Amino acid sequence: MSLSLDATQLDRYSRHLITDEIGPEGQATLLDSSVLVVGAGGLGAPVIQYLAAAGVGTLGVVDDDVVERSNLQRQVIHADSDVGRPKVDSAAAFVADLNPDVTVETHDRRLSPDNAAELIADYDLVVDGSDNFPTRYLLNDACRLAEVPLVNGAVYKFEGQVTTLVPDGPCYRCLFPEAPDPGTVPDCATTGVLGVLPGTIGCLQATEAVKLLVGVGDPLVGTLLSYDAMELATERVPYQQSPDCPVCGEGGIDSIAAVDYSDGCGIDDPQPNA
Amino acid sequence: MRWKLFADLAERAGDDEINVSVDDSEPTAGDALDALLAEYPQLADRVFTADGDLESHLNLLRNGENVSDTGLATPVSDDDELALFPPVSGG
Repeated sequence: MSLSLDATQLDRYSRHLITDEIGPEGQATLLDSSVLVVGAGGLGAPVIQYLAAAGVGTLGVVDDDVVERSNLQRQVIHADSDVGRPKVDSAAAFVADLNPDVTVETHDRRLSPDNAAELIADYDLVVDGSDNFPTRYLLNDACRLAEVPLVNGAVYKFEGQVTTLVPDGPCYRCLFPEAPDPGTVPDCATTGVLGVLPGTIGCLQATEAVKLLVGVGDPLVGTLLSYDAMELATERVPYQQSPDCPVCGEGGIDSIAAVDYSDGCGIDDPQPNA
Repeated sequence: MRWKLFADLAERAGDDEINVSVDDSEPTAGDALDALLAEYPQLADRVFTADGDLESHLNLLRNGENVSDTGLATPVSDDDELALFPPVSGG
């Protein structure tokens, strides 16, 4: 690791550098770090924005959507002139404008069971800014198998959830073993979502990511933070590693090859031949 | 006791904090859930599987502690706050 920050960097990151908790060493760690952000939408936008500003040296962005005008009420890295442009390109342009220290690796495709392991392998940490249960369960499983920390965040209308999943802590399936059946929980397009809500939740995810990378503070491991925008209230819901967890429990899966992510993402018998 | 509902459960009920009473000397979370569903029957097919079990993705909390292990058999008392907590997926 190089501790030699140039004069511009000493200026740019000065408010980090003067803190004991981050300092020059923590800033150098951030500059040497790589984070994969899955989804450049409501959650991904503030995550990309703040991690780029913080000087996370390499940001991977996975998304196969193009910017739509209805995104702009909350997806603050995309502009009116970006409508119709791939979100990964719009995100990369935003970051290039904000901080030349950051290299953006664009992945203009959908995260799938076929490419998840390969995409995750190159990064120190993954932030889940996806908008559907199959991707969330896939990311949980793939990150756990690859032993890569994952910062999970999700929103529903006026409520949000954040939790941090590290290799030696409980995983998302310890808390929610399976997804609700498709169609049970309506999506943002159906229910609507308060525009600033994913901003709040994404900023909490970015906070967790920076803490994990620098190695400071207490991450939300084994705790789900629930946020209610209407009441401006939070609750911390504790959860523990489940011995029966089909991913991180005894005899859990060692590959995602046999997992069906199309419906409830359930894993009935982790190792049928074991 | 009081139920607290989150996300789509609160939407479906039309309320997120609901007081119920159970006439039983040793009430359980299951009794409290029955009392909730008597008032809000529209929740029944959202919280139970076809087999009548509590949906596995719903976390049951008692006074902020996760009691999903003991589930509906968890003993409860009049001044407890119970919660049903689903995952959300929007981004």
